[in-house]
Amino acid sequence: MFIETAGPAAGITPAGPAGRPEPQRKPRRALSPYLYILPAVILLLVWTYWPLGQTVNLSFNDWNLIPTRPKQYVDVQKYAKVLSRPELHQALVNTGLYILAFLGISVALPLVFALLSRKVQGKARTAYQALIFVPFLITPVASSAIWRWLFAPDGGTIPAIAAALGAPMGNVFRDPGGSMTAVIVIVGWQMLGFGVLVVSAGLAGISPDYAAAASIDGASGTQITWRIIIPLLSPSLVFLSLMTILLSAQWTYPIIDLVTQGGPGNSSTNIYYLLYQFGFRNFDAGLSSAAGTLFFLGFGLIALVFVELSERLSFYDN
Amino acid sequence: MAFITIAPPSQPVTPDTPRAPEPSGVSGQPGLAGPPLRAGMTTADPTNAGRPRTGPAWTLKLRTVPSHVLLIALAVASIFPVYWMFVTAFRPSSGALSVNPLPGPLSLENFQYVLTTIPIAGMLANTFGMSLTLAASQLLVAILASYGFARWDFAGKKALYLLFVGSWLVPFQVTMIPNYLLISQLGLLNTITGVVLPQLCSAFAVMMLRQHLEAFPQDLLDAAQMDGRSSWRSLWEVVVPNLRPALAALGIMLFISAWNEYLWPSLIMQKSDALIQVGIRAFLGAEGNNWGAIMAASSLACLPIFLIYIFLQRYVVDAFIRSGLK
Repeated sequence: MFIETAGPAAGITPAGPAGRPEPQRKPRRALSPYLYILPAVILLLVWTYWPLGQTVNLSFNDWNLIPTRPKQYVDVQKYAKVLSRPELHQALVNTGLYILAFLGISVALPLVFALLSRKVQGKARTAYQALIFVPFLITPVASSAIWRWLFAPDGGTIPAIAAALGAPMGNVFRDPGGSMTAVIVIVGWQMLGFGVLVVSAGLAGISPDYAAAASIDGASGTQITWRIIIPLLSPSLVFLSLMTILLSAQWTYPIIDLVTQGGPGNSSTNIYYLLYQFGFRNFDAGLSSAAGTLFFLGFGLIALVFVELSERLSFYDN
Repeated sequence: MAFITIAPPSQPVTPDTPRAPEPSGVSGQPGLAGPPLRAGMTTADPTNAGRPRTGPAWTLKLRTVPSHVLLIALAVASIFPVYWMFVTAFRPSSGALSVNPLPGPLSLENFQYVLTTIPIAGMLANTFGMSLTLAASQLLVAILASYGFARWDFAGKKALYLLFVGSWLVPFQVTMIPNYLLISQLGLLNTITGVVLPQLCSAFAVMMLRQHLEAFPQDLLDAAQMDGRSSWRSLWEVVVPNLRPALAALGIMLFISAWNEYLWPSLIMQKSDALIQVGIRAFLGAEGNNWGAIMAASSLACLPIFLIYIFLQRYVVDAFIRSGLK
């Protein structure tokens, strides 16, 4: 409906408020914007920022979550303790591996698929995408149930196929070498469709004129892909990567909780599951908070790098 | 919002909503030439550029065969586990372990078992109500906040907006202990209110809607103001009716996200199975290897989302793509 109503001047204003003349923004309405924003800000402060402060506060205390027990100030002991925990090292390594795997599944693989299948357009493409997207919508309890059934040693499809191929497999979720792969398969199955949709939409937004012009100048298909398509796509690829890094640990959480509980050993755990275990299994609020504070800072740093990166790359579209 | 501005000139260049009027536009982008056009343009074809085309139209069709094979393989891999869930659920309980890939003799036994064993209808109704409440509240809060951000300049605007962007960097797991304690102090453990309360505002929804509103034609707002409408009436009588497709897409997405949320309900509802996520989890633990029943319960847990997807697919896909494009 924008297209029907938009005047030619109003159409192109991505630059933000500073860039446009606003005679109608009158100072006498000074209170209005604050009133409109108030509910959202209050909710954010109460349920995100105040708890964040509380978490930092708890990280300097020893407390077992029981309201009647007093908190005991322990300085940075909890940080020292959490950093020396072998579970933490394992969880960090696992989180890195998970992120790498999901970058492959939700960024690299969709890119390859989207480039290879560019020629399929129209209704057929819509139909394929609609099917590929379905796993993304499945609720985590159901997807973990489905895959537990598919991997079930007693009659599950995957062990049956493996046995038929002469490579019998046991219970993959109890196998220290296989549990993480199983979690990656389940979460990757859900995330792939999202990546495919985003990359295809990005590709569809690239004007064919560039490739056409390059082709007239004698560029080969490979050159066009690497020198034109991928650079033009890079802002959305960077964004998709950032989403994957920030969200993959959270997407993995329900599956880990429902399928492996981080085990066997700590072979399939990740940092967020560890936070849960420290807090709600070991009832060590300080330890969980110290780890949480560290991860918050770490992810903040990664996000800043990506924001910087995407700003450097965004010159392509100006 | 990167690639929108490099869209082909034939497309109207509105920064945020090139696809608003046609949510299914993802695949049918006007920018990419359709097959009939391609056959005529031998050199200027982007999708196969560099390889001069000499053959007639049918060889072009033939060339897409490998692409179709690839996409079919991907679609089958995506859909098979879901298909298998339904096939197993509809088998008679004696034949649950069948490996016959085709749906066997249809039976509702598993569903009957689930319905008599756990109060799944109640769980579905509760979860539906919860998701609807959350989507409505998140939408309302986001409409108000994004309108405030998009319509006025005011002191502290940047800092306040940073609160919303910054909340993306605060994973829920980091703040879950203080949130849990607060809900516990309010006496709301094991209640749906306790699940709903901390999620009433979605920073993501505010950010999405702000982008829509920044692109809203200022002339319309000016006209509304000249008509003597207050900012409140302009919002509900001018802005919201014009944003209906975008709001619908966002609302559906918020509903799906609320339905699929696991972590917070699983913490708050430890002693209750009023919500589908925790109810099915308990059922999974209790039923062990009764796969037919487990698959029937899982199918029911996915059913509302599947129905939404089937009937409102354009909106669902549109909303999720937008979220990825930002």
